[in-house]
Amino acid sequence: MLAARRVPINPSRLARALVLRTEVWRRFATGVDQPTADSSTRDYDIVIVGGGPAGLALASALASYRPIRESLSIALIEAGDLSNVRKWAPEADKYSNRVSSITNASREFLSDIGVWSHVRDERTTPVEDMKVWDGLSDARIEFSPSDLGLLMHNPNASYEMARMTENINLQHALLKRLDERPEVHIMDKVKVDSIEQENAAGGWPVVGADGFNSPVKSFAKTPSYGWAYDTHAIVATLFHSAPSPLLPHRNTTASQRFLPTGPIAFLPLSPTISSVVWSTRPSLAAALKAAHPDVVAQMINAAFRLPDVSMRYLHSIILEAQAAGTPLTAERVNEEIAWRERSHAIDSQSPLSSSDRAGAVGIPPVGSEEYPPLVTGIQPGTIASFPIRLSHAESYIGEGAGARTALVGDAAHTIHPLAGQGLNMGLADVQVLAETINKTVLQGGDVGSYTSLLPYARDRYFENHKLLSITDKLHKLYSLTNAPSVWARSVGLEVVNELDSLKGGVASRASGSRSGAGWSGAAATGLESVIGGVETVKAVASGVGGVVGAATMNLLRQAANSK
Amino acid sequence: MQSLLKSSARVPSTLLRAFSTTKPLLLSSTRKVTSQAHAEPLSSVNASEIAHFSRLSSQWWDERGEFALLHRMNPPRVQFIRDKILEFKREEATARGEDSIDEGKGVLKGWGALDVGCGGGLLSESLARLGARTLAIDASESNINIASLHSSADPHLASTLAYRCIAAEDLLAGDSPKKQYDVVCSMEVLEHVDNPSAFLRTLGELVKPGGHLFLSTIARTPLAHLLTITMAEDVLRFVTSGTHHYSKFINPEELIDFFRSDLRWFSGEPTRKEAEVRGIIYLPWRSEWVVPPRGTPGVTSCNYLFWARKPLEGRLQ
Ligand SMILES: Cc1cc2nc3c(=O)[nH]c(=O)nc-3n(C[C@H](O)[C@H](O)[C@H](O)COP(=O)(O)OP(=O)(O)OC[C@H]3O[C@@H](n4cnc5c(N)ncnc54)[C@H](O)[C@@H]3O)c2cc1C
Repeated sequence: MLAARRVPINPSRLARALVLRTEVWRRFATGVDQPTADSSTRDYDIVIVGGGPAGLALASALASYRPIRESLSIALIEAGDLSNVRKWAPEADKYSNRVSSITNASREFLSDIGVWSHVRDERTTPVEDMKVWDGLSDARIEFSPSDLGLLMHNPNASYEMARMTENINLQHALLKRLDERPEVHIMDKVKVDSIEQENAAGGWPVVGADGFNSPVKSFAKTPSYGWAYDTHAIVATLFHSAPSPLLPHRNTTASQRFLPTGPIAFLPLSPTISSVVWSTRPSLAAALKAAHPDVVAQMINAAFRLPDVSMRYLHSIILEAQAAGTPLTAERVNEEIAWRERSHAIDSQSPLSSSDRAGAVGIPPVGSEEYPPLVTGIQPGTIASFPIRLSHAESYIGEGAGARTALVGDAAHTIHPLAGQGLNMGLADVQVLAETINKTVLQGGDVGSYTSLLPYARDRYFENHKLLSITDKLHKLYSLTNAPSVWARSVGLEVVNELDSLKGGVASRASGSRSGAGWSGAAATGLESVIGGVETVKAVASGVGGVVGAATMNLLRQAANSK
Repeated sequence: MQSLLKSSARVPSTLLRAFSTTKPLLLSSTRKVTSQAHAEPLSSVNASEIAHFSRLSSQWWDERGEFALLHRMNPPRVQFIRDKILEFKREEATARGEDSIDEGKGVLKGWGALDVGCGGGLLSESLARLGARTLAIDASESNINIASLHSSADPHLASTLAYRCIAAEDLLAGDSPKKQYDVVCSMEVLEHVDNPSAFLRTLGELVKPGGHLFLSTIARTPLAHLLTITMAEDVLRFVTSGTHHYSKFINPEELIDFFRSDLRWFSGEPTRKEAEVRGIIYLPWRSEWVVPPRGTPGVTSCNYLFWARKPLEGRLQ
C-alpha cells in the first residue's frame, strides 16, 4: 500500500493518503491502522506510480486526449518531493549532470501533447553532427543531416538529429503542463510500499512508471531478464572553450569513442558547456569520483585522444594511487599524460594533445574538429556515477494475481546509455500506451483489461527488444580487443562511413522510425549492420543495390571470414 | 413467459418442453429466407446451446481462456458500431447544415441500447461506456450472474447498464406499449438460435423506427467450417468442441435478402445508408481481429458484421 513516506509531511495529508489507499483504490489494502473514511475521497480510473519522466509524460499524454479527460480520472503517485522540480530556476551557466538526447520523434510527441512549449528552449542544444570512433583502430563513422536526405527533400529542414536536454528541464515542463490539467491528481511524497488486489475482476489499472526497482513490477510478479554490466557510468558537467573560434556559438557535435573499458560520450549543452557520460569499470569510476575534479577533466580529455594502451596505463596508476591512499594530483596526471603523448609522438600542435592546455584557449590545431573541445573545468558537485544494467521485463502487462497492471519506461527496461535511448524508449512506450488507452475509451472498453492493453505490449515489446539487443551487442563487441574483431568492426565502420546512401538508409531508418532512435541509436543501427554479420548487411545493402552493394558485401564477407 | 432459465446446470423440464415446440430450422433447405412463416410467436432459444454456454459461463472473463478470441473481437466490432453511428450522425448534421459533430467518447449518449444474447457482457459494458442506457439480456441465468458481477466492478456502469435473464421474444410479450431501442445488437448469437427468421423478426421489432440493428455471425462456407470448427474447435482447441454447428451458419446474402423481402427494411441492393456487411478476420500473428476495407474480396466468407437501419416508417410498403 501506499503508506510510508520518505519525507515528513503534515498529518492531514497523511490521513488523506491513507484514505485513498483503502477507500479510493479498491484494490489496495493496508497493514496500517485506518483513519476513518473521508467522504471527500474519490475513485480513480488509472493510477500511475512514479513521477519520473515516463510517469509525468504518461499523465500529460493521457490528459491530452479529450475522451480520456472526460471519462477517466487519473492519479499519479511519486515518492520524492516534486516541489524542487516545480521550483527549478537554474542559473544560466550551470547545468544538471542528468541530461538526455531527446530524439526528433520524442520531441514531436512532446510537442503534440503540449509539453515541449514549456521546455526552456535556450537550455537545450541541437545535435547536428555525431562522430563515433573505435578506441583501438580509430575507424570512424560520422552522421550528419545530409546523410539523412533531409536537406534534399526540404531545404528549410533543420539539421537537427536530437536535442540535448536536462532531465529536470523536461520534468519541469511536464509538471507545468500538468498544472494546466486539473484532471490529473498528482500526489508526491507518497511512497507505494505494496499493492494488494481486492477484486480480480475489476480494480483500477495501475501503471508502473516507477523505475528499475519498480514496486508495480514486483507486485505483478513479472520476471525480467538481464544482467548488470561490469560497468558504471560517470556523468559530469564540463566547461570548455567554444569548439571553433569562427563559430563561437556553435557546439552541436556529439562525440563518442568506444574504448575497451566502455564508451565515453561528449554531449553539447551550450557553446561552452557539455556533458560527459563515461562508461567504465566500477573500480575506475569509484576512483575518478573520489579524485580531484581537475584530474577527472584531464582523464576525460585523454580518454578521447590517447591510444588505448596509454589509457590502460593511466587507469592503473590512478587505481594504485587510490589503493595506496595517496590519490594523484592534477599536476602528476598532467605529467603522465604529457609523457605518454611524447612516447606516441603526439606534439603540442597535434589535436591529440591535451597535456598542453594552450590548445584549450588559443587557436585549435588542425584536425581538432575531429575531437571534442578540451575540457578546462568541471562544474562543482556534478561528478556522479550510475551502475549500468540491461533488463527487460518478460511482459509489460501483468497477469493472474498481477492483472490490471502495465509497465512503462525504466520499470519495463533499462539499457546501456551508449545509445542514448533509455528515456526515448520510455517516451515511446508512453505515447503508445496513451494511444491504446484512448482507443479503448472510444471503443467503450475496460482500460485495465489484458485485451485492451495487448496492442501496447505488441507495439512496444519487440521494438524495445531490438534496441536492447543491438546496444548490448555493441557494448560487447567494443569490449573485444583481439585483432580480428577490431579489424572486422573497423572495416565495417569505414565501409558504412564511405557509403553515404547505405548510411543514409541506416540513419534515417533509425531516426525516422517512431521508436525514434537517436544519434547514437543511428550509429548503433549502422554498426549493427556491420556486426550483425553479412546477413543483416545483405538486407540493408540490397536496398543500395548494384556495384556498391556487391562491393560492400565482398568487404564484409572478407571481414566475417577473417574471424 | 418469464425468464427462461432458472439454473445454469440443469434445464428444468418445463422449459425443455417449451423448447421442443420450436419449429424445425426454417432456413435448413434453401437458406433462402422468405416471408412464409410470419406469425409464430416461438422462442428461438435452443436449450442445449444455453446449457453449453452456462457450463462455460465462469470463463467469460478469463481473457486468456475459452473466450480469448471473443474478447479480442470486441474492440473492432465496437469500432464498427461507433463508425457506423458516427457516419450516420455526420450525415444528419450535414443535412441540418452543421459542419461538425462531437466525435468524442459518448457516441451513444442519450440513446437506449439493447444487447441480445449478452453472454458475459463483453459488448454490453462497451455499449454502456459509450453512453447508452443499456439493457442486456441472455437466456442463461448463469451468464447474467457472471455479467452482473463483472460490471459491478466498474462504478461507471452502475447507473447505465442493466441485465435481465429473459429471451428477446419475451421482451416483446411484456409491457405495452412495447419498448423499442435506438440500437439493438446481437453479436455472435444468430448462429446459435434455432429459429433464425423468428429471431430476426423479434430483433427487428425491438428496433425503433430509424434505429440501428447490429449483428455479427458466421457465414456457411467451407472456409468458415475449416476455421471455426475444424481449426478452432477440433485442432487448436481455442474453443470448446460443440460450440458451433455448421448447419446453423447463415450467409451474408441470406441476411440481406431476409431484411429486404421479409422485414422490408429496404428494397433492391441496399445502399450504405440502409444496410452493410463487413468481413472481420483474425490475424493470429498479431493476436488481433481486423475489419478489412470495404470491397476487399473474400473477407465475408467467414466471420462478418452486419448493420441495417430500420426505416422511419417501420417497413417499406
Ligand atoms: C548515465 C545515464 C545517461 C543516460 N542518458 C540518456 C540519454 O542520453 N537519452 C535517453 O533517452 N536516456 C538516457 N538515460 C536513461 C534515462 O535517464 C532513463 O531511462 C529515464 O530517466 C527513466 O525514466 P523513468 O521515468 O522510466 O524512471 P525513473 O526516472 O527511474 O523514475 C521513476 C520514478 O518512480 C518513483 N518511484 C519509485 N518507486 C516508487 C514508489 N514505491 N512509490 C512512489 N514512487 C516511486 C521514483 O521516485 C522516480 O521518480 C541515461 C541514464 C543514465 C544512467
